[in-house]
Amino acid sequence: MIDRLWFLMPELIVLGGAVLCAILGVSRKVGVRNLLPVFAGWTLIIAGVVAWLFVYVPSTELAAVATEVPLPWLGRWVVIMSAVVGLMLVFVQAGLVDRVYEAAVAAGRVAFDPLRTTRGEYWVFFLLSVGGLMLTSGASDLVWLFLALELTSLPTYVMVAIGRVDRRSQEAGMKYFFLGALASAVFLYGFAMLYGATGTMSLVDIRTVLAEQVAETGSMNPLATIGLMVAVLGIAFKLAAAPLHLYAADVYEGAAAPVTAFLGFVPKAAGVIALMLLLSVTGWQEDGQLPQVLVILLWVMAVLTMTLGNIGALLQTRIKRMLAYSSIAHSGYLLIGILAGPGAGYTAVLIYLVAYGLSNTATFSVLAGLRRSGQEVEFLDDLAGLRERHPIMAWGMAISAGSLLGFPPLLGFWAKLLLFMAGIASGQLVLVIIAGVNSAISAWYYLKIMAIPLVGTPKSDAASIERVDVPGARFALVLISGALLVMPVALSDMIADAEAALREPDKMQTVDEDSGHAGGSAIKQEQPSLQS
Amino acid sequence: MTMVATAMAGGSLAQYLIISGVLMSIGLAGFLTRRNLIVMFLCTELMFQGVVIAMVAFSRWHWEVSGQVFVIFILTVAAAEAALALALVVLLYRRRDTLDAEAWTELRE
Repeated sequence: MIDRLWFLMPELIVLGGAVLCAILGVSRKVGVRNLLPVFAGWTLIIAGVVAWLFVYVPSTELAAVATEVPLPWLGRWVVIMSAVVGLMLVFVQAGLVDRVYEAAVAAGRVAFDPLRTTRGEYWVFFLLSVGGLMLTSGASDLVWLFLALELTSLPTYVMVAIGRVDRRSQEAGMKYFFLGALASAVFLYGFAMLYGATGTMSLVDIRTVLAEQVAETGSMNPLATIGLMVAVLGIAFKLAAAPLHLYAADVYEGAAAPVTAFLGFVPKAAGVIALMLLLSVTGWQEDGQLPQVLVILLWVMAVLTMTLGNIGALLQTRIKRMLAYSSIAHSGYLLIGILAGPGAGYTAVLIYLVAYGLSNTATFSVLAGLRRSGQEVEFLDDLAGLRERHPIMAWGMAISAGSLLGFPPLLGFWAKLLLFMAGIASGQLVLVIIAGVNSAISAWYYLKIMAIPLVGTPKSDAASIERVDVPGARFALVLISGALLVMPVALSDMIADAEAALREPDKMQTVDEDSGHAGGSAIKQEQPSLQS
Repeated sequence: MTMVATAMAGGSLAQYLIISGVLMSIGLAGFLTRRNLIVMFLCTELMFQGVVIAMVAFSRWHWEVSGQVFVIFILTVAAAEAALALALVVLLYRRRDTLDAEAWTELRE
């Protein structure tokens, strides 16, 4: 039993980091409090390195556990992805979250009061939420999946509410919390039906029982099908996918920009991973397709999500609402990969998550890094001519928005290409055409986001926009922009790694002797290759 | 199956599932129509309890314990959510002196 904890080592490290932050966050020494982001960052680095080098290497213990989990190697990809994007989020958030209170303490206007500081809590909740995302990937049963999703979500409600001292952030926190609680109840009801149909909580066992029922009766158990549909609808909240996408614009606008960067990635990635695991219980039948009703549900959700997201973004003048709607649209694209299924579809989803997570973090880091008399910049037009005074910000915005749009040399382009190719290969041509049209619509507002900071005429009050005094957001922006330009070079390695992460347990024996990487290329020959 | 059926003495599976569905529906309808923050939160709690009843009924029907284990976890998470909800409600009440959800309309199109 105890050796199984070894596979939770990255998550345990993150938990330890969270406890450390909780203790140090109430320190009276400002130097110690300022160290919290450093601790959080190192926690994520260590967790990522441990997952990369030690935990998910082939071993007899892992082979034994692997048969109990739908996608036993997925954790490696998800933990490393969470660590990398999480580290960027640490840079974006460092020093910005409770700057008003800390500035007041530093100026001597108020005495430091451990009860009033929120820095410790913020980093604790940050680490716990990222840990929840990591845990989601290892889910072996419905209980685990539920707890991991809640661990991802519950801290985000608090982070939204305490992210800045503003009525709007509290309103956003309230809306997010209530809809989140509703969505949890909905997907739990789906879980209950799934359990009722099969009599087991284990995802692998559910898959076996459902396959037996299909063999007996010729069709999928209706209770299980309805349960899966209800669960998918509930999890749509985490992705901000239609029909539960309406909160996104309000919550993203109300939360502080560093928190919004976080909301755009962590809960969404957890939702996508949960969908992948949950749909694995259907076994994807022999022809690699889901049951018909689920295909229709996901198809409609994908079309609605990307269309409503893109049209919503077109109509906005506020930059954060625009990016919120764009993140809804990206959930729609991700659903194409989910529909395309294991193999090419899931591989594309994993790569798209990385590309989207990095680009999205970068766009919000621009907003987090700029201030006008202590407030965030609200309108896109305010950024006009940003290049003249803050060239790094303007170019970083252009590169990351270009990546979100899918501009050719950038990582976002290749990720979107893989996603669309996987969609076509699985026979979803109409869906991919709709997504293509949507990409064209999105070009309108993404090009505005790219061009206005670069070539727009500055407004008369543009000089009042200042960079914030902590360099973290700019640092993250430069790193991510560089990564978006450079990572396509390593695209074939990324595809190999993603395919290795999606290996099924029964295929593991053949690759046990190899390292994870070589294992990926061994499997690659069995599946339709994406590299062309 | 007969053994399972006798184990369900005191009500059939369908009866429990109907109660669970009714709780779920009341919760959802209340959530969508009521405006008081605390009542809205109670409605989500009702929905959780609907899930709990379904879980326990299915667990009993399958004669398998993991459904009841799940219930313990659901109750725990619901308690954590209640703590969070009440903290948020207190925070909001201090700002506006009202529990009406419609008083909070700064974020909209």
